[in-house]
Amino acid sequence: FAPYIQVEYIAVMPRKPTSRGMLQNPPPSTFSRFARSQALIASAYRSKRKINKSKFYKKSRSNFSGNGFENHASDENSEQAESSDEDFDGVVQADFAFFDPKPSDFHGVKILLQTYLDEKQWDVSGFADLILGQTTVGTVIKVEDDEDDGVYSVVTALNLGRYKARNKFCTISLSQPAANHDHKCIEEIKEFLRKSCKEEDIMNNLRSYLGEQAQDVGLLISQRVVNLPPQLLPPMYDALFDEVSWATEDEPTEELRNSFCFKYYLLISRIYKHKSADQQKRQKSDEAIVYVKPEDEIFHKVPTFTEVSHSSASDSFNLHLSSAPGPSVSICALSSLYLMRQEMLKDYQLMGLVMAVEASKVQ
Amino acid sequence: GFFVGLQFENSCEIGVFSKLTNAYCLVAIGGSENFYSIFESELADVIPVVKTSIGGTRIIGRLCAGNKNGLLLPHTTTDQELQHLRNSLPDQVVVQRVDERLSALGNCIACNDHVALTHTDLDRETEELIADVLGVEVFRQTIAGNILVGSYCAFSNRGGLVHPHTSIEDLDELSTLLQVPLVAGTVNRGSEVIAAGMTVNDWTAFCGSDTTATELSVVESVFKLREAQPSAIVDEMRKSLIDSYV
Repeated sequence: FAPYIQVEYIAVMPRKPTSRGMLQNPPPSTFSRFARSQALIASAYRSKRKINKSKFYKKSRSNFSGNGFENHASDENSEQAESSDEDFDGVVQADFAFFDPKPSDFHGVKILLQTYLDEKQWDVSGFADLILGQTTVGTVIKVEDDEDDGVYSVVTALNLGRYKARNKFCTISLSQPAANHDHKCIEEIKEFLRKSCKEEDIMNNLRSYLGEQAQDVGLLISQRVVNLPPQLLPPMYDALFDEVSWATEDEPTEELRNSFCFKYYLLISRIYKHKSADQQKRQKSDEAIVYVKPEDEIFHKVPTFTEVSHSSASDSFNLHLSSAPGPSVSICALSSLYLMRQEMLKDYQLMGLVMAVEASKVQ
Repeated sequence: GFFVGLQFENSCEIGVFSKLTNAYCLVAIGGSENFYSIFESELADVIPVVKTSIGGTRIIGRLCAGNKNGLLLPHTTTDQELQHLRNSLPDQVVVQRVDERLSALGNCIACNDHVALTHTDLDRETEELIADVLGVEVFRQTIAGNILVGSYCAFSNRGGLVHPHTSIEDLDELSTLLQVPLVAGTVNRGSEVIAAGMTVNDWTAFCGSDTTATELSVVESVFKLREAQPSAIVDEMRKSLIDSYV
């Protein structure tokens, strides 16, 4: 079960990568909060402008797309994404905008986090609260002037060492849920990762990331609705890494500033792995791994990563340790994206994927 | 009393996966044993707790409607499920499959043992069936402009909780219809879908784990749960049944 935007359209994406021009962000000239918010707005507008360009591009293609509906942003005032029978012609207009996380985003963010681990019960609410409590680093994507105020994507980085112990100044307030909310959600995530890892050599790395190196590790959380337009992804990740680097300079205390000097990012994600590992059994056109989130393929190729795969269905998992150097791939080079359909996936098994990526390679 | 902190597989929407009345409790199959065992440990001495699916799904709380007199099931219910429920529930509970286009009966119908509120577009035949099987007076209503009355309110024979945006005039009108005190409020930390976030009968309530202390105190007071004693209520029901047979 994956959360999805409740409108009836299928996004048809161009096969060529989108132009890279939009991703050469000039660094902000000042490091004040104001400049940061301006830069964020500018990058959101940039993405909107580029989406307009690709709208024209897609419009010329739409004749060949068969049953494709399109979704695209426009710079007019957005209309509410209603599917009324009279006017609905398959085209949805939406202005996506980037916001700092707020406490009122709790329900939307929680829905996006439901599938973060497996189906065993854990403190998703506390985890959502943690993410919303960190306003300096983290972005939620919502639609402008949306009545429902729905959250379509959340991305943030949490320092594993900072959030490990219960905050002794935490008071129980009437507005907080009755259940006890210390940072056990982080402990539960760590326990989940430890349980998923069975190979000894990976286990040692993992233990150190979760243990003595936790102060240098950022848990990179990126959850979104299945059909979020991929044009939003590069500015979204740019915004995250920009905010991380700004936080290393702007946070009020030295402890907080250091907490954002990540050496590693830890990502928990999902992939579809082909059921037969043997190359010959697969069709030539079938990929060995299909990435649910396209940016995972890029993270996966970054050199010196540790991969731990776990199956959500059973507790079996494959572990791969690769130290083979590969090309340093910039986050903005998204390869072609395609919608996965059930029949295409019949030979694949859904598995979890955990990656530890060196921060210097992705920022 | 009442119980908090419930989750069904990381979802706090426990009213989706359960249905509680004064005579029986239905719990969805799947989910952890923990979910079922909480209901069982509290209720099993007094009323049967039955595990089931409806139409092969787990969202049983939203698909069926019932009270101590009967249980209405959507047309998607399989024959095996129907038989299983008929076998497991007390004989005085009439289990009936309803041929209604609006098949999410739990979203369309809210009821206690005396009154039912229904979706405005419900079939005439279904309305009559509700009156017959559940033994209630039926009123077509909206709640705060929402037609899914079964989702946006939860009420027992002692009190009720409705959508937070219900106006004072609507509250008064509904309260008169239902003949119980009503309060506008939320569960699960501001969720307006009351019936999805909690389930209640005359002596106990179960609330999802996101429910705040303020919300819980409202639930406790409007449903009068502090002084409720299950055995007294069930004894009264038994007495009235014996009376009607004599």
